[in-house]
Amino acid sequence: MKYKIKFTVNGEIRTEKVTPSTRLLDLLRDDLGLTGTKEGCGQGECGACSLIMNGQLVVSCLILAPQADGSEIITVEGIKKGNSLHKIQKSFIEAGAVQCGFCTPGMIMATKSLLDKNLSPSSKEIKRALSGNICRCTGYAKIFDAVKMAAKKIKMNGSDNNA
Amino acid sequence: MKKNYYQELENRPKISGKDSSKFFAPQSIDEIMEIIEENDDYKIIAGGTDIMVEKFEELYEVKNWLAIDNIEELQKIYKKNKQLEIGAGVTHTQLVQSNLIKDWIPALKEAALDVGSPQIRNRGTIGGNIVTSSPAGDLLPVLLVYDAEFILKSKKNQRKVSAEDFFTGVKSNILKRDEIITKIIIPLKKNNFDKWTKIGKRKALVISSLTLAVRIQLDNENQKITDASLAMGAVAPTPLKINKAAEKIVDKKFVELDYKKIAKLVEQEISPIDDIRGTAKYRSKVAFNITVNAFKEIKEKIEGEK
Repeated sequence: MKYKIKFTVNGEIRTEKVTPSTRLLDLLRDDLGLTGTKEGCGQGECGACSLIMNGQLVVSCLILAPQADGSEIITVEGIKKGNSLHKIQKSFIEAGAVQCGFCTPGMIMATKSLLDKNLSPSSKEIKRALSGNICRCTGYAKIFDAVKMAAKKIKMNGSDNNA
Repeated sequence: MKKNYYQELENRPKISGKDSSKFFAPQSIDEIMEIIEENDDYKIIAGGTDIMVEKFEELYEVKNWLAIDNIEELQKIYKKNKQLEIGAGVTHTQLVQSNLIKDWIPALKEAALDVGSPQIRNRGTIGGNIVTSSPAGDLLPVLLVYDAEFILKSKKNQRKVSAEDFFTGVKSNILKRDEIITKIIIPLKKNNFDKWTKIGKRKALVISSLTLAVRIQLDNENQKITDASLAMGAVAPTPLKINKAAEKIVDKKFVELDYKKIAKLVEQEISPIDDIRGTAKYRSKVAFNITVNAFKEIKEKIEGEK
């Protein structure tokens, strides 16, 4: 049986029909073409499929699509403003925090979730906020640098946590 | 022996292509009960952080999903008649952020903060942690030492069971097919001092190798121990209350305790096994050490109050 769900993705209201066992991750990638959200382990351990749902960082591989009915979702595609990358994205590039890039969307969403609440995170807070995201190229130091750089950039622009 | 391939083919699950699976999203506890009564074969999902992993390779075999993550009455923490009532749908993040939990059951906050990752804590619920009944479930030793009780509800009945009686083995419990946990009730007592310890191979996203919760209640002068409780995770088929060690220290003055003697009793009372997260010998030794450390930290907490 297919279920009609209505939810907001990156500011746009979408109505989709989904089967009960479709994961939110599959709905986004396969049906909506939002392939920025990656599937790593599929079991909530790597964080590659992280996105922000109703203001909270979640892994989309552990959520059934019908559970997202009525929710508000922001994926990595939804954080840029116009044609300009988000300051977090710019910082990841400038700090050299991207190697193979597979974990990057999840890392960026975890960073956004942190900086939305706290623009002066300590190193410990950054580590904790990104503890659900694994990078197998082993580049955490640069990723943490990128988070600090992003926090600085956003702070310089006042409270505007956008591009 | 030669394999009988024909038989294997016959035993293969029959796939019909017919789409008969359903998704239910009840809005109240009563609605959950109706759905449970009308459907035999269903899987309850809240945060999905356990069930989605368990069903990872067979998601499409689940006939009916019963999603209970949108039920407001399951998502509240409140104080009522010297008790703390925690809805089964309260997430680990809610536990971490709640002032009631911080003030009355600090170890539960610490344990919730040690679970998984921000992503897991934002979705995973206390009810889910209890129903999964893993011997390594991080909230469970804390619930044991705080004498928590669970409200189990079916359509016709409701019963109250102590945390100690709930767990029966590795990932098994006394919950009946038509029952769900709706609430966790914790009696509130004054002069409690507690300590939570988790040992794992890394800090995030790890199944505990060993956990310990200790709760000590002192008299009004903060001297004599009026009540004590210790519990450990991942040392037995269920989360385990360490009763003998606790009995030994009740009625004694805290300053007179010999931490090593208590730790020895703990070591004798647990029955750890060898597995990928550690050997039995390692677990016994670490159980001893973290018990000594827990009492040292509780001592500091008591001195901080004075």
